[in-house]
Amino acid sequence: MPVLMGIYDLPGQAAGVAKQLRGRGYTDIETYAPAPFSEVEDAIDPKPSRVRLFTLIGGLTGVVAGYAMTIWMVNDWQIMIGGKPFSSIPPFTIIAFELTILFAGVMTVLGLFVFGRLPRFKIDSAYSARFSGEEFGVVVRCRDRDVAEIDTLFRDHDATEVSLVES
Amino acid sequence: MTPPPADSVAAMIRPAPLRSDSKTNRDLLSVMQGAPLGYWLLLGTALLFMHIAGGIWVYQVYKGLGIAGYAHPVFWGVYIVTFVFWVGIAHAGTLISAILYLFRAKWRNAINRGAEAMTVFAVLTAAQFLGIHVGRMWKAYFILPYPNQRGLWVNFKSPLLWDTFAITTYATISILFLYVGLIPDLAIARDRATGWKKVLYTVLALGWQGSSGQWKAHNRSVLHLSGLATPLVLSVHSVVSWDFAVALVPGWHTTIFAPYFVAGAIFSGFAMVLTLMIPVRRIFGLEAYITDYHFENMSRFILLTSIIVGYAYAAEYFIAWYSGVEPEQTAFWLRAFGPYWISTWIMITCNGILPQLLWFKKLRTNVPFLFVLSVLINIGMWFERYVIIITGLSREYDPAVWGVYIPSWPEMGILAGSFGFFCTFFLIFLKLFPIVAIAEMKEISIHEKAHATEGVH
Repeated sequence: MPVLMGIYDLPGQAAGVAKQLRGRGYTDIETYAPAPFSEVEDAIDPKPSRVRLFTLIGGLTGVVAGYAMTIWMVNDWQIMIGGKPFSSIPPFTIIAFELTILFAGVMTVLGLFVFGRLPRFKIDSAYSARFSGEEFGVVVRCRDRDVAEIDTLFRDHDATEVSLVES
Repeated sequence: MTPPPADSVAAMIRPAPLRSDSKTNRDLLSVMQGAPLGYWLLLGTALLFMHIAGGIWVYQVYKGLGIAGYAHPVFWGVYIVTFVFWVGIAHAGTLISAILYLFRAKWRNAINRGAEAMTVFAVLTAAQFLGIHVGRMWKAYFILPYPNQRGLWVNFKSPLLWDTFAITTYATISILFLYVGLIPDLAIARDRATGWKKVLYTVLALGWQGSSGQWKAHNRSVLHLSGLATPLVLSVHSVVSWDFAVALVPGWHTTIFAPYFVAGAIFSGFAMVLTLMIPVRRIFGLEAYITDYHFENMSRFILLTSIIVGYAYAAEYFIAWYSGVEPEQTAFWLRAFGPYWISTWIMITCNGILPQLLWFKKLRTNVPFLFVLSVLINIGMWFERYVIIITGLSREYDPAVWGVYIPSWPEMGILAGSFGFFCTFFLIFLKLFPIVAIAEMKEISIHEKAHATEGVH
């Protein structure tokens, strides 16, 4: 199946064309952008990123681990310090807090790797250095008979260039 | 009519030249290319200082901590002072990256990378001082709760242990934050580099290509890391301050310490960002990206935190007097007029009085003035920690055990070496990685371009 690519200068154009392609029922669409632009990303998938689930799981694990570790350790070998109770919640809250942040942060980065599909060992054939310049790319896989329609659509949205990546 | 010259006709029939690379890329990547003699001289000096300090440290390990200036009753000296100093420096990076990100202050995009790198290297510098201070650095793992034959666990009620958790968490999160922000820029560098640098960037960029799914996950991660780093940055220096505040030493045992230390940390951190970024901007010609507006905003932060710090100094003295507690009153009287009066007045002048000059817009936009002031603030903030720690310990409750601590040459050598260590890593970073976040600068410039185009329609 052919793969077509349109090059754009502005995020709004790329977002508009991606949205229209989705509206016309194309599913295999990808965009490349030099910087984050929510309109472009939302045109492909409007749902919020699931990275937040990873952060939440990490944070909850951290807070539980922090209290569990400290409380278990002080009671595993009880040593009286300053006449305070063995399981002193206020100082342990500091440990639990730090571990919450640590685990949540590490899990967030793990979430980035999972949902951003990183690391990837093969770069897409449509990708080129111009997308790490200042241009936007919209790439779509379609049937042979749709090539002309998509070409027109790309050009209607002021594409600076339309090319066939695979035929 | 004369016909057009032949070469211009040729130019007309040739296809349009390929569009050249984005100007932002060219400008910001150029910082990483080539290194003038001055760079090597600076790097050489930094390395020299670092190695001298390394040599002194080996000597200290051989001879024992006796070669440090520790004398009864002062056993927390320059090493702890310098530790607190570098942890403080580390705070501005996260403040600029995380807190200003959450507030959507777009001007941070020009300076956040430099500040984040500074944070990471400052934390790494600080962490070494804990090992240097305890003497037997190879036993540093004792502070971690690991299973051992004695069946003993660490004391979680000790502020020193809170510190271990706070500092390791802060170092980890700062490194992750720096790296996540770097990934898109590493891809930019990868697409344009050759030779061994291409290999380095290809590995580090993890196959980033700026697809919608990647940006979406990236955006969300940066947002969450900012949200996590914001309370973290406030907690870290609070925990450091509790190392002192939880002890019963006059001058230390106060509840004001956490906010006072955090404000001081941000104050010194911003000063250090200025100290580093002013020469970087000048040497690499980044005036189009890091503008006077950025420096003015940073000096506003410095002014604000200086007022908080100045207020804390005043509040300490007021409470010492108002409390009627004699050891507290004596401690503060001796701070200002005792054996360490020079340090105290340097601290008050550099941190409380001189930054008030920033009320004048003329001075806020005067870059050479800002540079000199930022260096003075760094000196003042080092002395602040010196005053708190040394005067506190040397004048405790019982006058019979009062003593005077004088820093020894090995301590001062290692202090100088810490600057060498920090500068070495910062200078290497400068040549290997983009010091201004390129993708984030483009986010602003493309938005502006889009707005301009929409205006035409």
